[in-house]
Amino acid sequence: MSLLGLVKRSLLFYWRTNLGVLLAVMTSTAILTGALVVGDSVRHSLKMTMTARLGKTNLALVANNRFFTAGLADELAQKLNTNVAPVLFLQGIVANSDGTKRANKIEVLGLDDRFFRLGPGKNPFGEDFSEGIVLNDLLAARLGVTVGDEVVLRIEQPALMSRDIPITPDSDLSIASRLVVKAVAGESEFGCFSLQANQIPSLNAYVPIQWLQEKLDRNEQANILLVADDANESITVERANEAVRKSWQLADSGLELRKPDNHDILELRSRRIFIDEPLTIAAINARDDAVGILTYFVNELRFGDKSTPYSMVTAIGKSGDSKNSITIDIQDDEIIINQWLADDLGAKVGDSLELTYFVVSPMRKLDEEQTTFRIRRILPMQGAAIDPELMPDFPGLADADNCRDWDAGIPIDLDKIRKVDEDYWDKFQGTPKAFITLKAGQMIWANRYGNLTAVRYQLRGKLSKDVEESVTTRLLKEVDPASVGLYFQPVRARGMKAGNEATDFGQLFLGFSFFLIIAALVLMSLIFVFGVEKRSEQVGMLLAVGFPTRLVRRLLFIEGGILALLGALAGTAAGLLYTRAMIYGLATIWHVAVSGSSIQFYAKLSTLLTGALAAMAVSLITIWLTLRKQVSRPAHELLVGELKWQFVKATPVTRGRISLWIAAISSVSAAGLVAMMTAAEGSTAAGAFFGAGALILISGLALIQFFLRMLKDTWSKTLASLAGLGLRNSTRRSGRSLAVVGLLACGIFLVIAVGANRQNPLKNAHRRDSGTGGFAIFGESAIAVIHDLNSKTGRQSLGLDDKILDNVNILQLRLHEGDDASCFNLNRAQIPSLLGVQPEQIREAFRFTDIIEGADKNDGWPLLTHDLTENVVPAIGDYSTIVWSLGKSVGDVLEYIDEKGRAFQVRIIGMLKNSILQGNLLISEDEFVNRFPSENGYRIFLIDAPPGETETVMDILSAGLADFGPALTPATQRLADFSAVENTYLSIFQMLGGLGLVLGSIGLGLVVLRNVLDRRGELAMMQAVGINKIALKRMVLYEHGALCLCGLVCGIIAALVAVGPALSSPAANVPYFSLVLIILAIGISGLVWIWMATAFALSGQLLEALRNE
Amino acid sequence: MLELIDVSKEYQSPADTGSVSVLKDITLKIDKGRSVAIVGPSGCGKSTLLNIIGALDRPTAGRVLFDGKDLTKAGDIELAEIRNSKIGFVFQLHHLLPQCTVIENVIVPTLADKNRSLREEVEERAVSLLERVGLKDWMLHRPGQLSGGQRQRVAVVRALINQPKLLLADEPTGSLDEHAAQNIAELLVELNQSEEVTLILATHSIKLAEHMGQVLELSNGTLTERATSK
Repeated sequence: MSLLGLVKRSLLFYWRTNLGVLLAVMTSTAILTGALVVGDSVRHSLKMTMTARLGKTNLALVANNRFFTAGLADELAQKLNTNVAPVLFLQGIVANSDGTKRANKIEVLGLDDRFFRLGPGKNPFGEDFSEGIVLNDLLAARLGVTVGDEVVLRIEQPALMSRDIPITPDSDLSIASRLVVKAVAGESEFGCFSLQANQIPSLNAYVPIQWLQEKLDRNEQANILLVADDANESITVERANEAVRKSWQLADSGLELRKPDNHDILELRSRRIFIDEPLTIAAINARDDAVGILTYFVNELRFGDKSTPYSMVTAIGKSGDSKNSITIDIQDDEIIINQWLADDLGAKVGDSLELTYFVVSPMRKLDEEQTTFRIRRILPMQGAAIDPELMPDFPGLADADNCRDWDAGIPIDLDKIRKVDEDYWDKFQGTPKAFITLKAGQMIWANRYGNLTAVRYQLRGKLSKDVEESVTTRLLKEVDPASVGLYFQPVRARGMKAGNEATDFGQLFLGFSFFLIIAALVLMSLIFVFGVEKRSEQVGMLLAVGFPTRLVRRLLFIEGGILALLGALAGTAAGLLYTRAMIYGLATIWHVAVSGSSIQFYAKLSTLLTGALAAMAVSLITIWLTLRKQVSRPAHELLVGELKWQFVKATPVTRGRISLWIAAISSVSAAGLVAMMTAAEGSTAAGAFFGAGALILISGLALIQFFLRMLKDTWSKTLASLAGLGLRNSTRRSGRSLAVVGLLACGIFLVIAVGANRQNPLKNAHRRDSGTGGFAIFGESAIAVIHDLNSKTGRQSLGLDDKILDNVNILQLRLHEGDDASCFNLNRAQIPSLLGVQPEQIREAFRFTDIIEGADKNDGWPLLTHDLTENVVPAIGDYSTIVWSLGKSVGDVLEYIDEKGRAFQVRIIGMLKNSILQGNLLISEDEFVNRFPSENGYRIFLIDAPPGETETVMDILSAGLADFGPALTPATQRLADFSAVENTYLSIFQMLGGLGLVLGSIGLGLVVLRNVLDRRGELAMMQAVGINKIALKRMVLYEHGALCLCGLVCGIIAALVAVGPALSSPAANVPYFSLVLIILAIGISGLVWIWMATAFALSGQLLEALRNE
Repeated sequence: MLELIDVSKEYQSPADTGSVSVLKDITLKIDKGRSVAIVGPSGCGKSTLLNIIGALDRPTAGRVLFDGKDLTKAGDIELAEIRNSKIGFVFQLHHLLPQCTVIENVIVPTLADKNRSLREEVEERAVSLLERVGLKDWMLHRPGQLSGGQRQRVAVVRALINQPKLLLADEPTGSLDEHAAQNIAELLVELNQSEEVTLILATHSIKLAEHMGQVLELSNGTLTERATSK
């Protein structure tokens, strides 16, 4: 026989004990590995979702509210030698045929077969791309429709000009069409397409791009390009952007060069009316003779008590071409008027002329401003003075036959329009009646959309074709297409990054299961110790015959190691079952934690190995630590038997004092922490209190240990009762006792400390500083609302009854779509959605948990308008969004690219506590429109409603805003939905912690069983002297019940300290009832295990033990 | 070969209220090949003395010289080597490994020896010793299948497997009936003579002690010579 042979014999002979150790190792391994594999599964599912979402799409050019020619896709496909799909994308609403079911916030995509080649390959349209609609399966299910059914699709109607500009018509904001469902697209038909990194699938509706272009009067236009990677994965963002630089045309930025009739000029104009500044700069620099033009619609031209209504005025740059252009040789405060105007006003040179006009304001607020000029010259009505081409194609004006047909977005007082005005329009159309310098015009009329309406170039006898070519070449060379929104983004790389940085469910479940793992390890060490103690005489014998201590330890360690290895192997397999159980939980009772997403089981071999090795390592360390003590005793002590050797050596009194010192230091430290953090808030305070609670726990356990030692060694009072004897008995194996007490105390501490942190968002929800901000309703629309919903005119234009909404106030926010950074999105948001808000309107709402240094936490909103460094925009966000979803804190920055391709940073300056604004970052509206001028209108609404009228207000607004696809939710509901995610995590922790406590109870039972079996002889002696079995059981119950009680009390006290902040929080929702139930259940469970173990151990003929003794 | 010089052993009481002296200034010299019995009532310190002689325990004071080596100055590893190679121990309770066979139990002490080349020799010696004690036919049985006397004989063989110079027996017949005890006593005496191993035996049985060449009485911590009928 060899040493290994001895090990093998021992393993097989003591198979019962070893099986217990193996099962305990298996349990801890299963939980550890299983938790890590949950992480694998979630990560894998997110990756699969991303693949389903993007297909082969590698890069995307998203121009949002800008449109380019779909032909750019062909050019790029050729240059990059890959599939490039043009898409026309809009937000929309879909309802079933009878309108009984509708779905808001639909992503409507106009596409062709190139899109489906980016997907798995199946094209639901088949060969026929002429008509019909394809809904993805989620949308079809939501509407309850199938192939052949009719649906009503309403999509936003993009305007030529931004709808924020007052003059833009505010009607026809959307168009509706009835369509027949041609197919339902599942994953294999690329039905899950979305560019946003979110595992929650979007609601998609696909229509033929040509059909959509015709509907929107956007022939051959698109606003998204999707690029597939090639086989070598060589298509980078840089390469794609370079290809854009070489391929784009003026039409892709909405520009066109034309030669107006009867003019010897070439004119550059924009479909968007106002020309973006980067383009104007390049256009002016394109040729020396370039003349900038800014024509504006003024409400009135007044001289004294006379006025001329509704006229065009042009600000014009200096030009040397007097034939084709007005010569502007005036000062910036001077004006040239035409003769018609002079006659109409009776004005002459030198007189003051006042211009009244609307300027661009938020919510199409009509701010009227005036500027006065001195008349410098009067032009005769001939030549360059009569130039209707100077008026851009203002929608609603340019194609009107007469003034009364004007359909501008501003209110036109028809009473002001005289016959002479009609005659002017008939004869001269939009010919400007006055001219000012370009500088003066840009000062009063330039806006974020542009500062020119045209640029003119003189032909001077040259062929317009040549000049056109020269200007075009110059513009294409000088202008960065990114500045007009033509730049690619690495959507695939971003999606992968979002998935890789996603919430690590492996670590999360490891944290949830931590106590369960510890409980299993403690159980394992208890069983192992029992096994070794049972063989203490053998150990003594081996030492006596000359085995060195380290050899004996090594033999036992090898035994334990083999058990750890086998347990780890079996546990790894069992861990897969644990994972499946957790995934099942996430799909059912805990579905809120993953926002209802489907998680697929997936295990990586590396994870399994890591888990198995980690569990094995921890088990081996536990076994080693156990053995160090067990085999350190002298051989002669072990030889007399384990029951007796413990009395051979006295315990030094100093050991008891060490426990006292530990208790004292821990208590003082805890008190210090509490005192320091009393005034603090947020996570800092919570963490400190939790730490204080943990210190109290340590202190409590140290005190128990001290008490046990004192009872054993120094308490000289004679214990003259069964209860007293039971108490004295509890000191015999203080290590075992403390292990069980500690396990129960830790378990109770964790369960209570975590459970008490549940949030009840409904508490005090009406308060301004609560998570609802005091708002009753949170709303979001699919199509932007451009009107002021608080003004009478705004409400009237939307058919909302102003009287009923009299006490309703609506805070409107702009939305730039990005990644959802709320707890619903498992991915790590890369570029969160931005909301633009006017800080003064949201002041005093919500509560800040943290803010930049030196700022007043009670008044954080005005900080949004503070100037930080250039290209840095201050932002405020919800705590959960910033800390958990983004992994950031106050002071950190995120990188963004604005509509003009300019990089800028968003710097977090404040965090809000548990709010309905979770998922977004808020910046000032001014910054928002500066960065994203094409984002029209408002899509997020925070609505105040009188108490008790929330439902009524929701109904009214839902009906009134039906064409905008509103989604209105009570603010408390939204907050509850967010809190539900966190509360679900707490539930998972509590459940697994509870299982750990169950294991702890089993450990208690094992300790009791072992203790009683060890002392059968003594108990037999007691029975022999007349104490009956019931009394003996009671004595054992006192002994171990006291330990159980100590553990519970210690844990409860520590937990109460830890949850101090939670108890005092207004939103606390401490489930007192369930916590008390848990404590009672653990206590009763402990007593039941004690009783059962005692009954089992004392079963049979006790007196037999006397004989064997 | 064995000399104890002023060996004392005290135990501290738990509450620091003093100490209990079990052995007081014991001086003893035992030559090679002798057989000595140490007698005394239960709890007088016989096992303690034997443990100190057998390097299982250390005296509070004094020296223990074994083959010229001061055991009180040796480290734990050295003491283990000495116990393994030069001392054999027979306990009152046999402390056989229930999971091993008789012959495996016998060769357990040899497993501490890293020199594997002696394995075959060891097994041969084990069989030979078992044959001498009449247990050759039982060598593949487990201890659970043996009687108390047989188990103790196995324990004796185990103590001799490494050819020790000193054999210590602590109440070797304490848990046996008279007949078995007599057999063990005779076996020990026979082995003392045939194996030329020094034998020190601790017992409360005067009858067993009288088999030995010298009887010492341990009383109140001191050792005195006791006259024998031999």
